[in-house]
Amino acid sequence: MMLRRTCFVLLVLVMMMTIGTASAQDEIVVDFYFPSATANDAEGIFQRYAHMFQEENSGITINPVFTGSYTDTRNTILTELQGGGAGPDAAVMLSIDLYSFAEEGYIIPAQTFIDAMDNGDEYASDFFPALMANGVDEEGNIWAIPFQRSTPILYYNADLLAEAGYDSPPTNNAELVEIAQALTTDERDGLLVPVAGGFPIWMYQSFAIAFGQNIVSDDPTEVYFNTPEAVAAVEFVRSLGTDLGVGPAGGAAWGDTPVAFLAGQAAMIYHTTGNLTRILNDADFEVGVWYLPSGPAGEDGTGYGAPTGGGNLYIFDDGSKSDAELDAIWRWVMFLSSPEIQADWGATTGYIAASASAWETEPLASLVEEAPQYGIARDQLQHVGKEFSSYATITIQGIINKTLESILTGEAEDAQAAMDAAQAQIDGILAEYR
Amino acid sequence: MLASSRRKSSLAFLQPYLLIAPTLILVLMFNIVPAFRTVNDSLYKPARGLNAAGKPPEFVGLQNFRDIFDESHYIGGRFLRTFRNTIIFAVATVGIGVPLGLLMALLLNRHQPLLGLWRFAIFYPSLLPLIGAASIWSFIFSDSIGLANAMLKTFGHPGLNWLGDRNLVLLSVIIVNIWKQAGYFMIFFLAGLQNISRDIYEASSLDGAGPLQQFAFLTLPLLRRTLLFVVVISFTFAFQTVEQLQALGEGGPADSANLLLYLVFQNISERRNWGYVNAMTIILIGVVLVFTLSNFLLFERDETQR
Repeated sequence: MMLRRTCFVLLVLVMMMTIGTASAQDEIVVDFYFPSATANDAEGIFQRYAHMFQEENSGITINPVFTGSYTDTRNTILTELQGGGAGPDAAVMLSIDLYSFAEEGYIIPAQTFIDAMDNGDEYASDFFPALMANGVDEEGNIWAIPFQRSTPILYYNADLLAEAGYDSPPTNNAELVEIAQALTTDERDGLLVPVAGGFPIWMYQSFAIAFGQNIVSDDPTEVYFNTPEAVAAVEFVRSLGTDLGVGPAGGAAWGDTPVAFLAGQAAMIYHTTGNLTRILNDADFEVGVWYLPSGPAGEDGTGYGAPTGGGNLYIFDDGSKSDAELDAIWRWVMFLSSPEIQADWGATTGYIAASASAWETEPLASLVEEAPQYGIARDQLQHVGKEFSSYATITIQGIINKTLESILTGEAEDAQAAMDAAQAQIDGILAEYR
Repeated sequence: MLASSRRKSSLAFLQPYLLIAPTLILVLMFNIVPAFRTVNDSLYKPARGLNAAGKPPEFVGLQNFRDIFDESHYIGGRFLRTFRNTIIFAVATVGIGVPLGLLMALLLNRHQPLLGLWRFAIFYPSLLPLIGAASIWSFIFSDSIGLANAMLKTFGHPGLNWLGDRNLVLLSVIIVNIWKQAGYFMIFFLAGLQNISRDIYEASSLDGAGPLQQFAFLTLPLLRRTLLFVVVISFTFAFQTVEQLQALGEGGPADSANLLLYLVFQNISERRNWGYVNAMTIILIGVVLVFTLSNFLLFERDETQR
């Protein structure tokens, strides 16, 4: 009696499992992880995109998973994969995460899929070259497709500038300092540059580029952190909070900066284009947006400088995925990078739509006419440099961040000495890869 | 008959082991095995390099420990500073938080109006999820829009950069930690105080002892075991602090407010640092173990003396 009942239960279990596998075979599920670094409703937006995609592609289900900040997303994926888990099929991660994941063999190049397309070259060349720089390896293979891309820009309170007699934004560092000093009061900072709070490297790179030396190149085994330009750049940023007195010593915190700007407590800020929509919606004054001012790199006015930033689309495969699965993943990546979705994404969030054709597509095309601020970030792309990325990116970025923090907070008075020491540590790590 | 009783006895022999098996397996899987792996992995340089030319893990003896104690090494500079911070943090949290908890327990261990409200208000912070509470504090400490600076400004002070000034961040984190934990410690002290019989206080009053003498010679000695327990758990908590740092400046500029376990967490994502992560974990476990063992020994001595 007992035996018979056990057999029956087992039989039912086996049948249920078979049915489960059968239905799973019909349908390909693409696990898609995404972070959010701004106050946008990313979850709602991706649910909408997934529905749109599934209507066009029957048999493929997109499973969008919100995984927190960029750092949380990277750590989630690394933890899953290093522990032998399945991980995502595709994910948005920082464009600079390329070498960390390629080194572990977790991701595959998008180049393979692009080569197999009829119009692959056309597809790839539609993206702005500046946004491709971090997704390409030293041999020119495309690994990642630009998606939620950004760059720092100058936001200014046009009403305050007008009151003080300035009818246009600063275009170089000298004007920047002059206007910032004119607008600094007891209640208000003239200029906030968010370099406090753990991640100064991104904003710092703007200055390094404007001073004439990006700290990275196309060679992932080279870092230029102790050049005279790199040192002069950090000394300039430090002086904003000390000698020049236009902002807090040590710099402003990332999240506080737009809040202070919106509250009228900062006349000008450096911040990401990813916050453009929010700032335009929430400000009760006229918001101006302009390129980050040029530094000594261009006395002729061409020395603008900003790094790119934000996230790319990565494809995960350890060699175990079937052609059908890979095809489904690539379709989803193509869909997200299509001009239609890029135009919608850019208009909804303020991230820079990554392809030229997206800017001629609605709703972005008419938005940029209504609010020309959106076009500034796009036009600045011709002047931007590559974001910091190398082998052992996370560790080296950590060394650079800690060094910058110790200089900016005044703990390390001698910037050159601190940067020499950091460069020596960095070269020690990169020697393994040369 | 004989056979069946023998079977019974062999089953009886197995019984205790069967009963503890679930716990034993869990402890083995999640405590013992990982602990041994941590010790083992701390002696290796992890696999590294590119896919094709990758190098397998390499045995390096105590090199990882030498590196984390080397001020000029990229991980050593951070570890040493963080270790100092952790000691300062632990001493400050215990040195201020525990007496504060005791003081509040003494004040609230008597009949007075609104007693329940007072107890609830002081205990309330420890009910809040830590990361949420710390996020609220990050707004309070915010440079331009924060409540802390708004209050300072009403007194004519220009305001402080609580989470940006390298000399202040650790203090900010300590303030939040004490605020969060003092109420929790108070509950232990309250429970301890209510176990002390009222009679002895009456008796000592008749003998002419004042409140201070009663505290020093009656309350404190009778609370000794509670006090020991609270001191040890607060030390252990201090070494396990992670969440507050995530919300309060992520360890501060140049690690000025970083703490050990958070440093471990920060370095876990890149495989090349796993040897260091394991070595740091062992140091961390070692320190906590010393405190826990000393607690144990003190308790044991207490028991045998009775």
